[in-house]
Amino acid sequence: MNKEEIKFLFYTITHPIDGFYELRHHGKGSIKLSLLTVFFCSAAYCINRRYASFIVNPSDTMEVNSLLYLLSLFVLFFLFCIGNWSVTCLMNGEGRMQDIITATGYALLPIPLLFIPATLTSQIVAADEQIFYSLIIYIAVIWGALLVICSNMVIHNFTLTKELKTLILTAAAMVIILFIILLFYSMFQQIAEFIKSIYTELMFRV
Amino acid sequence: MKRFLAIVIAAFMILMKPLTVYAEETLPYDTYIYDYRGKAVFTPAAYIPSKTVFGENLSCGPFKNPQDMFIADDGSIYVADTGNNRIVVLSSNMEVLQIIDSFMNNSKKDTFNSPSGVYGTDDGDLYIADTNNKRVITLDNGGNMVKIISNPQSEVLNSDFDFAPLKVSVDYAGRVYVIASNVYQGIMAFNQDSEFMGYFGTINVRITLTQIFWRLFSTKEQRARQQQYIPTEFTGIDIDDEGFVYATNIDSTGGQAVRMLNPKGIDVIKQNPNGRHTLGGDVRFATGGEYSGASEIVDVKIRENGIYSLLDCNRGRIFTYDSEGNILYIFGGKGTQEGTFSQPVAIEAYHDLIYALDSSRNAIFIFEPTQYGSYINEAVGLRYNGDETKAVEIWKKVLELDSNNEMAYSGIGKAYLSSGDNKQAMYYLKMGINKEYYSIAYKRYRNELLKENLGWILTVVLVGFILYYILKPIIKSRMRRIRS
Repeated sequence: MNKEEIKFLFYTITHPIDGFYELRHHGKGSIKLSLLTVFFCSAAYCINRRYASFIVNPSDTMEVNSLLYLLSLFVLFFLFCIGNWSVTCLMNGEGRMQDIITATGYALLPIPLLFIPATLTSQIVAADEQIFYSLIIYIAVIWGALLVICSNMVIHNFTLTKELKTLILTAAAMVIILFIILLFYSMFQQIAEFIKSIYTELMFRV
Repeated sequence: MKRFLAIVIAAFMILMKPLTVYAEETLPYDTYIYDYRGKAVFTPAAYIPSKTVFGENLSCGPFKNPQDMFIADDGSIYVADTGNNRIVVLSSNMEVLQIIDSFMNNSKKDTFNSPSGVYGTDDGDLYIADTNNKRVITLDNGGNMVKIISNPQSEVLNSDFDFAPLKVSVDYAGRVYVIASNVYQGIMAFNQDSEFMGYFGTINVRITLTQIFWRLFSTKEQRARQQQYIPTEFTGIDIDDEGFVYATNIDSTGGQAVRMLNPKGIDVIKQNPNGRHTLGGDVRFATGGEYSGASEIVDVKIRENGIYSLLDCNRGRIFTYDSEGNILYIFGGKGTQEGTFSQPVAIEAYHDLIYALDSSRNAIFIFEPTQYGSYINEAVGLRYNGDETKAVEIWKKVLELDSNNEMAYSGIGKAYLSSGDNKQAMYYLKMGINKEYYSIAYKRYRNELLKENLGWILTVVLVGFILYYILKPIIKSRMRRIRS
């Protein structure tokens, strides 16, 4: 993780088409840096939930659980990457798993970048000036979403319509993966229960 | 060692014993409210059972399926003893004053048949909904019949319309409002001359999206067999001094169960703008199994200072709101202990006492306020009459008994706000989760800070600029000298 890589990270969010192309074809990205961005993203979200001022904050600050936010964002992130990879493999996407993880992570950078200033802004706004706070939040979310679409489009060399179709299929793939995980979870639970009952039976009889 | 331990434990038990605040184990029910986020929060008891009156213990004999009750200004209690076809009048200290079981109708003796509604006016007239005789009878002070409402005639009524009045109420102008059985169009309003004026306060039917969805896919036959979408019937009625009609209805979704109808029949009740508790009784309830479902509000009583109480016959609870729709306290429950209901049907209040009538246990329950309950009543009353500074003292006492009371924090915060102490106001309004007023306090506090500090901030900036422009050439020339 050298200075060049960090510079390139900021280059991608302002020049997404060129940036993600270079990330894919010249190998300029770094998975470590991408995961760090995701971490910062969840940290920024936590800080926003916990420290945004009373006027703008809808959440109960007593119930903000940073570990839960961290875990759920990482789970969602990897779920998206795996789902996207599974779908794009079948749709002639050019991106490799490593590209998907790097590019998607990089695309989330606007969120930590803007949520912290938004949280600071919230400290000085009253109820009728809330729009200044929410504007920053909206910009962060929309910018991030556009970057995710753009990064995916560029690394797989898709057209926009095909990219949108892929994203819908990715969402479906994510749901299927979750379903299978739950299925396996309950199945293993039952197997464990079964083995446990055999064990207790043996203990009582032998 | 054992002895020492026993002494320590005994000391602990004595110290832990609650002194004045009523703990849950001494009462057959919980007292709670819903907070800003719609969570149930337990509070100290606001009202405790003080007395249960059975007909057996009075000279009138047991009640039989009594359906309604009315308390006059002098404290006398009129009970519609439906199953015994009579009206029992009790004094405020529960002695039988009178039993009305017959009256003179055009110099002929006439009786009641299942009277299930009773209401008295300020000038002593008594209105009785004589359900199975299909009429509303007005008796004067001496028990003589003054007028009678029966067989209403109108274009909007079918010729075979069956008039079965259940509840009756009268406003200051002598207009009579009747809730009749199997009438879904609203409350029936009659003028002073007992003529039917029309329906009043019709509840609009709300169809949910899923209902529309299923209707789209059902055939004509299926549609005919489905249940009809009809508005809910009104269940209870009361009229305040200004002529606003408060009427309750059963809302199966737990949304809005009480309406405040203006003379045009339009609902003008105030709902709490910040907060998720609505005027539907319980906010959270189980959707299946025992003890489940939305509250079934059967009666309303307007009390002093804009406070009103609703009676839920599903879980036997009494919900009390202030004039702004804030929930004040919820208490009561079902059971067979003293102070719990079996089938509550009517609620009344006299001064600070709450009276409830149970048609299955054939008894009148009287609840009296605790210190906590009367503090809340008093503080809300002071605020209703515009005396917010006096209310603060009471709210502080409420906070001593219940440090989670959002209304108390809000009340104190508003008083600080109007007295100009913005920082204190911010603290209390935040504790009371009152975003609207917190924002006002915050704005004023921000302006104060700016006014106090703008002088030196601007000075520092200005001096900084001047110094920068003076020093810039000097530093540059120095640097050049060093380099060369």
